[in-house]
Amino acid sequence: MSKSCIAMLLAGGQGSRLYALTRDVAKPGVPFGGKYRIIDFPLSNCANSGIDTVGVLTQYRPLQLNSYIGNGQPWDLDVDDGGVYILPPYQSAGEKGSWFSGTANAIYQNMAFIENYDPENVLILSGDHIYKMDYAAMLHEHLEKNAALTISVQQVSMQEATRMGIMNTGDDGYICEFEEKPAHPKSDLASMGIYIFNWQKLRHYLIEDENDPNSQKDFGKNIIPSMLAAGEKLWPYKFEGYWRDVGTITSLWDANMDMLTTSLIDLYDPSWPINSRSPVRPPHYTGAEAEVINSIVSEGCDICGKVENSVLSPSVSVQKNAKVLYSVLMPGAVIEEDTEVEYAIIGENTVVHRGAHIGTAPDGTAEWGVATVGPNVEVREGATVPASAMIYDSEEV
Amino acid sequence: MNNYRGIIFAYKSYPELRELVNRRTAASLPIFGRYRLIDFSLSSLRNANIVNVGVVMQRDYQSLLDHVGSGKPWDMSRREDGLRLLPPFGLPNYHTGNYSGTIEALNSVISYIKECPEKYIVLMLGNLCANINLKEVCRMHERSDAEITAICANYVPDVLHHRYVVGDDGYVMEVLFDREGNGEGIPSLECYIINKDTLLRLMDRCRSLDLHRFHQDAISMFLREGGKMRTYIHRTYARIIKDVDGYYAANMDMLSSANRAALFPANRPVRTKNAEGVSTYYSEGSRSINSLVADNCIIEGDIENCILFPGVRVGKGAVLRNCIVMKDTHIGTDCRLDYVITDKKVTISSGLTLTGSPKLPVVVPKESDL
Repeated sequence: MSKSCIAMLLAGGQGSRLYALTRDVAKPGVPFGGKYRIIDFPLSNCANSGIDTVGVLTQYRPLQLNSYIGNGQPWDLDVDDGGVYILPPYQSAGEKGSWFSGTANAIYQNMAFIENYDPENVLILSGDHIYKMDYAAMLHEHLEKNAALTISVQQVSMQEATRMGIMNTGDDGYICEFEEKPAHPKSDLASMGIYIFNWQKLRHYLIEDENDPNSQKDFGKNIIPSMLAAGEKLWPYKFEGYWRDVGTITSLWDANMDMLTTSLIDLYDPSWPINSRSPVRPPHYTGAEAEVINSIVSEGCDICGKVENSVLSPSVSVQKNAKVLYSVLMPGAVIEEDTEVEYAIIGENTVVHRGAHIGTAPDGTAEWGVATVGPNVEVREGATVPASAMIYDSEEV
Repeated sequence: MNNYRGIIFAYKSYPELRELVNRRTAASLPIFGRYRLIDFSLSSLRNANIVNVGVVMQRDYQSLLDHVGSGKPWDMSRREDGLRLLPPFGLPNYHTGNYSGTIEALNSVISYIKECPEKYIVLMLGNLCANINLKEVCRMHERSDAEITAICANYVPDVLHHRYVVGDDGYVMEVLFDREGNGEGIPSLECYIINKDTLLRLMDRCRSLDLHRFHQDAISMFLREGGKMRTYIHRTYARIIKDVDGYYAANMDMLSSANRAALFPANRPVRTKNAEGVSTYYSEGSRSINSLVADNCIIEGDIENCILFPGVRVGKGAVLRNCIVMKDTHIGTDCRLDYVITDKKVTISSGLTLTGSPKLPVVVPKESDL
């Protein structure tokens, strides 16, 4: 049976800028916003938009992501004639298999998967974006504008435009030019890296691109310019809601802090739930001396200290006289007595022993940054982890 | 293959649970901000790898069906067998009113028991709140020559209960009915491991004599005729929930970390239906002291000694003390609630005051709009 639209989620990136957090897990598997992992956002958006077939392209540390996604049941993607599939690079008979060499190549290598569903359109998503978006509305506009490719764009300031991929449009509203990080932007429409392609068109350009030895096999650098050069119809779909790329420590921390502001993104809206897979834990407990202010707290947490402007994943423990300020604590983190954690990201199952001090408040200098402690680290008693530090090994602290 | 099958009794509503069981049985009563009572028996069975389980139900079981579904959260959704819901079917016209005893309930699903290939049956109450190490009990039962092992508590329940008097040889000599407070013998948690043949024999004897009750009739008869029965003492938290007082007290018990550790050990997790997608948010100016709070709540007020279920909203300036607030209850700004249990989907308008007492908490029925 042919499908109107299936999704391909690019989750291949190592996320090297998140190093301490992505040593053992691909970026989309990084915990986010309390109960979630980053990939919950695109997966939930797919399910809520009626897209029931999702291929997840991954080639870096897929183990955790694999078991996290499982059969897709938490997102209602465990359907009979679709579902969610992890697609690693593979070898075929008589061919030398290879790693995905670019975003376009990753899709090229999985054309057989796509053909299986004989879709009219293919939605290309990125595994490191936080947003709530109705892809069905985008698809509707894509069909209405009879576009070969619709690119989701967001209006940004001219300042920001110099750091992004910018779409210049003609009088008819269609895209006439694409500029990567222009010094003098002509438009304020930045690409969000979310594409809907007509599958037959995409198929044609993927094959053409694959045969071009000079191509970098990238959507932004190669496929989109080729399509523009060939005179294809490219439509910009303007998206006005909250959208953040969380590829760096700073942007990951910022976006976590954004979750504390419902007016930016409302996670409590029952009409657009973001779902996740998490083990059942008892409700969280706040003790006799607990103080929890402007914070997100999840199941299984045990809070006896102070938590302010912070985001706590499930099963985090904050003991007596501990202070957690402007921080992100990932699942199972333990913050022992008399510690201070501020402007920090603490990885899964990391233990911060008594009297340690992690991170500092912003001091206005260019060197200041969020302190990051990776997963499964023991921060020893009384240790100090300075701002901007990136710790992934217990011996360092 | 596992040689055990579970049977959970989930047919009783208990009138002393008042408004809480208007439209549900005790087994599907929400508890501890996250669970239903039956989760504890289902999880105890699952954690001993007993996944072929029958749930005996009779009426008002819609909320129970909703909750247990196919049994997936307890890994009881199997290709063959697994979870079976058992409304009356064994003996048409045998009985039309409420079951007058557990033996009668068992006789009404007799074909289910007869057909099961397992050698042993674990009988459990759907309203028993305990995390029982059934693996250990099963091991003990197999090693002994007893036909029945009775799981007992090492504390004195504050409700009527049955007790067993055990002889020096370790075998049960006598069963005492409807005891209160301290006294001779050890309190029963009404949870048994029983050889299937023994159970069927007792069921048949009782039926032929028109006897319906498990303890007063079947167990008495078994002991009178010299049957071999041993006890296993469950040494951590346990409570059978039969009335509002017990329900309220059990919830408040979980504000103690020792009780939480006993009921929710990491190696025998309590499983329940799927989790909420979103965490809880505490606003600026909120206060949460000695409370258990589930996911998907938004707290802007002040709570102390409270149990909050998912989807609860506590408005600014609202003060909650000693309350149990069930799923999707919305509490308006500046309310004052003390010793109140609100059932699911209750709305309490701004500025209202409701006060109960420790021995008589106010129960606000499901979907009330105050």
